[in-house]
Amino acid sequence: MTFRGFLKDKIFSLVIFFVTSLLAVLLLLAFKARKDLLISLITIYVFSFVGSILLDFFRKRKFYNDLVENIKSLDKAYLVLETLEVPNFYEGRIISQALYDIDKSMSENVNAFSKQLNDFKEYLEMWIHEIKIPITSLLLIAHNNKDKFDNRTMEAIKRIDFYVEQVLYYVRAENAEKDYLIKEVPLNKVISSVALKNKDDILEHGIDLIVENVSLSVKTDAKWLEFILNQIVNNSIKYYKNDGFSYIKIYTMTLDSSVDLLIEDNGIGIEKSDIGRVFDKSFTGKNGREIAKSTGIGLFIVKNLVEKLGHRIKIESEEGKFTRVTISFGKNDFYSVLK
Amino acid sequence: MKRIMIVEDDKTVRDNLCDLLSNNGYEVIVLTTFSNTVEDVLDSKPDLVLLDVNIPGLNGEVVLQNIRKKSNIFVIMVTSRISEVDEVLSMSYGADDYITKPYNPSILLLRISAVLRRGDSSFDLSYKDLDINMQKGIIKRGEKGIVLSKNEMIIFNHLLLNKDKIVTRDELMTDLWDNDEYINDNALTVNISRLRSKMKELGYPDAIETRKGLGYILS
Repeated sequence: MTFRGFLKDKIFSLVIFFVTSLLAVLLLLAFKARKDLLISLITIYVFSFVGSILLDFFRKRKFYNDLVENIKSLDKAYLVLETLEVPNFYEGRIISQALYDIDKSMSENVNAFSKQLNDFKEYLEMWIHEIKIPITSLLLIAHNNKDKFDNRTMEAIKRIDFYVEQVLYYVRAENAEKDYLIKEVPLNKVISSVALKNKDDILEHGIDLIVENVSLSVKTDAKWLEFILNQIVNNSIKYYKNDGFSYIKIYTMTLDSSVDLLIEDNGIGIEKSDIGRVFDKSFTGKNGREIAKSTGIGLFIVKNLVEKLGHRIKIESEEGKFTRVTISFGKNDFYSVLK
Repeated sequence: MKRIMIVEDDKTVRDNLCDLLSNNGYEVIVLTTFSNTVEDVLDSKPDLVLLDVNIPGLNGEVVLQNIRKKSNIFVIMVTSRISEVDEVLSMSYGADDYITKPYNPSILLLRISAVLRRGDSSFDLSYKDLDINMQKGIIKRGEKGIVLSKNEMIIFNHLLLNKDKIVTRDELMTDLWDNDEYINDNALTVNISRLRSKMKELGYPDAIETRKGLGYILS
């Protein structure tokens, strides 16, 4: 709150003051009042006016300055009312009360949406657990009746499960609630689950899966890591290069500050202009447009989960040559070599 | 014949699971009411229980805890809830394994046979007059010993466990991959022919037959 601005706002009072002062002076002159009386009266008049303006300014200045400053400095501006003293002037109290009422009504509104969202997420989680039962039935039926259902049926069912799982982890990654458990997880166990899930696809495409140097544990959530790896391996399979020797190599590197888990393939790679955006939501890029339809969700969820777990992820690629995803389990994510 | 009890409230899953297990040489008991799960399980004395977590009445985890108060029978927990917390809890209550739905039926069978073999010393495998040392990977006939590679041992072991039954290439492949041996189709063919020539050295040249389009059979 600047004094200039405040004065500008008082422009009408000022005009009235000058006009009335002028009239008063003229009146006094007309009545041939004594000069010293004239000066004294004008002085008193000016003092009382200036005084009341200044008093008003200083009373309001603190409240408004705090209001403006605190809104700027708070990362949650809507909490500003909590940081202010109750103002000791009438307008201030009106504003204060109005802000309070607005806050309250908005937070009720936000709560209603947040409850709606949470209800929906809960329903979604429940639904996902339910849908897994008929998917299990389908897998069992297909397996028990191999004469009627060939591998393609099994593949289609597994794809359904893949997409269902993606929804589950999308919900989990967005959820503020903590539903993961960090403990020491042997990497070879997780890799083995992911490998088995993708075995048929890998073999069918004639891809060699090379797994090296993974007999160590990292601190993470096993299920989340499994999902993350599964998405990455799935991409490697989806964008493999159909000429000669294809491989997916999963290995670790122990560095000073971290243990890195690397997933490398010699597939079609990612265009240079696309690589910076592959973790963006709904980004599909050239491969997603030209090779295999992509939703642009998988890697977005992966990035979210990785960050929630406190790991880091990076992706390197050269178009037509290779793609390499590195997940770094930092120094704080204690790890140890299995015997 | 090993007896497996299925505790699962979804009828379609239950029926097909029952078929899967009986097709693979297990005797199956199913539970269709869940008001007395703990007692029903204990009374029927199965070798292994496939216990679904989400059943009516007492929750599977509570059932497991109550079973453990009285018995050490093998229990594999089955759940459609993917959560590390749940798995750690179930294992701490004394589950022998934990598997999430939807499971690959071949992998379920591997897990079941792995749990059943656990701590069962009478389960020593033998084939005709051959001595088999799984740990060392050595097969002996009298004085003559032959060393098998890890892959060959996994294949031989799988064929032996399913003696006189056709084993598909996919089943062998699943078992190999489940043991962190991520080999491809050619390598499997090579491994089988190596295993065959080793069996020949031991005097059983025709032990492993090929059934075209179906798989292999050890008889």
